[in-house]
Amino acid sequence: MIVRAALCPSPPLLGLGVTGQADVLPELREACEAAVGWLLAAAPDAVTVIGPATTTATWRPENAPDLSRHAPRPDPLAHRADAPPVPAPQLRPAPPLPLSLAIGAQLLDAAGYRGPRVLQSVAESASPDACRDLGRDLAADAPLTALLVIGDGSARRSAAAPGYLDERAEPFDTVVEQALRDGDLPALAALDPDLARDLLAAGRPAWQALAAALTPARPRARILYSDAPFGVTYLVATLDPSAPQ
Amino acid sequence: MIMDDVAEAETEPRPRRRPGPLRLGGREFPPERALVMAIVNRTPDSFYRPGLTWDSGAAFERVHAIVAEGADLLDIGGVPAKPGPEVTVTEEIRRIVPFIDRVRAAYPDLVISVDTWRHEPAQAACEAGADLLNDTWSGWDPKVADVAAEFGAGLVCSHVGAALPRTRPHRAAFGDVTADAVDRVLLLAGRALAAGVEPDRIVIDPAHDFGKNTWHSLEVTRRLGELTATGWPVLMSASRKDFVGETLGVGVDDRLAGTLAVTAVGAWLGARIFRAHDVLQTRQALDMVASVKGDRPPARTVRGLA
Repeated sequence: MIVRAALCPSPPLLGLGVTGQADVLPELREACEAAVGWLLAAAPDAVTVIGPATTTATWRPENAPDLSRHAPRPDPLAHRADAPPVPAPQLRPAPPLPLSLAIGAQLLDAAGYRGPRVLQSVAESASPDACRDLGRDLAADAPLTALLVIGDGSARRSAAAPGYLDERAEPFDTVVEQALRDGDLPALAALDPDLARDLLAAGRPAWQALAAALTPARPRARILYSDAPFGVTYLVATLDPSAPQ
Repeated sequence: MIMDDVAEAETEPRPRRRPGPLRLGGREFPPERALVMAIVNRTPDSFYRPGLTWDSGAAFERVHAIVAEGADLLDIGGVPAKPGPEVTVTEEIRRIVPFIDRVRAAYPDLVISVDTWRHEPAQAACEAGADLLNDTWSGWDPKVADVAAEFGAGLVCSHVGAALPRTRPHRAAFGDVTADAVDRVLLLAGRALAAGVEPDRIVIDPAHDFGKNTWHSLEVTRRLGELTATGWPVLMSASRKDFVGETLGVGVDDRLAGTLAVTAVGAWLGARIFRAHDVLQTRQALDMVASVKGDRPPARTVRGLA
C-alpha cells in the first residue's frame, strides 16, 4: 500500500557538488527536501524510488549514488608530489545508479533516511501498459510504502533549452501539472509516449507507474515547485492518497 | 669557492620533506592552494614598466589594486636584479622599510615578502614586519638565514649557478642544470634548518634566468617536477622574464601569454608560489589549473547539467 508519494526532478545539478562552488537553484533543492521530508514524516516501512532509465530494473540499494558519469572528479590525492603519476585503477563494487535513482537516493540520504529502500527504474521506452503493470506491482506486494517518483518535464521549453524550443512543450507540461493538481491519475496514464519522447519529457513512464500505483485514489496534491529555469521543466509535488480532495 | 669549501659542501645534508602546509606570517596555506606573489618594485629601473611603483604613493595604490586582484603575498624589492647603479644597503633600506611599515599598518594580515640578498636590509625589513625573505641570489650572504631564524620569518632558497648578485649570465654552463638547482636549493634548505629557520617556512626556487640562459630556464621548467618532488614548496618566478621573451621573440610588453603558459606548466607540476606582475591573470590561470587538477571546484557549472 502506498501511503504517500512525492515527485522530484533529476537534473544532475541537484547532485552533491555538481555545480562547483555555486549553489544553483537552492529553491529547487529546498522544494525537493521539503517533499522528501513530508514523505518520510508518514514513517513508512519502506521507500520505493522509481525513475526512468535505459531499462526497467530493480537496483541494489548499496549501488553508489554518485554522479561521476556527469561530473567526473579526480582523486584529490592523485596529483600530489608524493603520489604515483598514474593512479592505480579502482574496481567499482557495483555499477553506479542511473541518474534518476541516484538523485532519489541522494535525496533520501540527505534527509537522513536509513530504512529499507527499493530502487526501481522504468525504461524510458516503456509503454503506458507496461508502466501501469509496474505501478500496480509496486503497490500490490508492498508494506506501508512511500513512493518517491523521479521525473522531469520537457527539455524543450525555450530556445536556450537543451532540446531547443518546441511549441508543444508548454501545453504538455501544463497537462501534467494540472493532472497532478487535480489528482487526476487517468490523465497521467493517458499521456502520449511518442509526444513525451519528442519533447524530451523524461518523467512520463515514472508518472504513469505512479498513476497506477495510486489508483483508484484521487490524491490531494501540493505543487512545491514548477518552473523551467534552464529550459527543462522541473516539478516538485506531494501526493496524499489518504486525503482525497 | 676554494676546494675545502667544496669538499665541506659535499658532505652537508640535502634534506627532503613530506609535502605539508606552508606557513607565512600568521597564515597557513595547504599544499593544493597555489599562491600569487605580487611584485612591487621600489626601484626606478626594474626591467618591466620601470619606475611604475618608484613613487611611494603609486606603490601604495598598487598594493590596494593587487590585493583586490587576488594577491596572496607581496614581494617588495628595492634593488633590480640586473647590473646598474649601485644601491647601497642604506639606500635599499630607505626604499623598502618605510613602505613595509605603511603596508603592514594598512594590511595587518597580508603576507609581505622582501626581495633582498643582504642581511642588513633583511633585518630592517623583518623589524618592520616582513614575513618572508626572498633571497634571490642563492645564499650569497649566509646571515640572511640567521635573520630569518631570529625573526621567525620564512626564507626562499634559490639557485643561481655561478652567478654573483646583480650580474647577467655569461656563457653559463651546467652538466645538468635541474640536478644542479635541486642540489643547491636542498643544500641551502639544510643550512636554513641548521640556522633555525622553521621547516614549514622554507621555500625553494630554481630562479629562472638567474645565472641561466633561455635553454636552462626551459629545461628547469620542463623538469620542475624534480624540484616539487623534494617536498619543499616551490616558488616559480618567471613573470615576463627574458627566457619567455627569447622563446617567443617578443619584448617585455608582450610576454603575458608566455608567462601564463609557463605558470600553467609550473602549477601542473606542483609549484606553489608564483611571483607575478599580472596578478589577476595569474590568479585566473592558477585557478584554471587547480580545477583541471581537481583541487578547486569550478565556480559554477550548469552547462549540460540541467
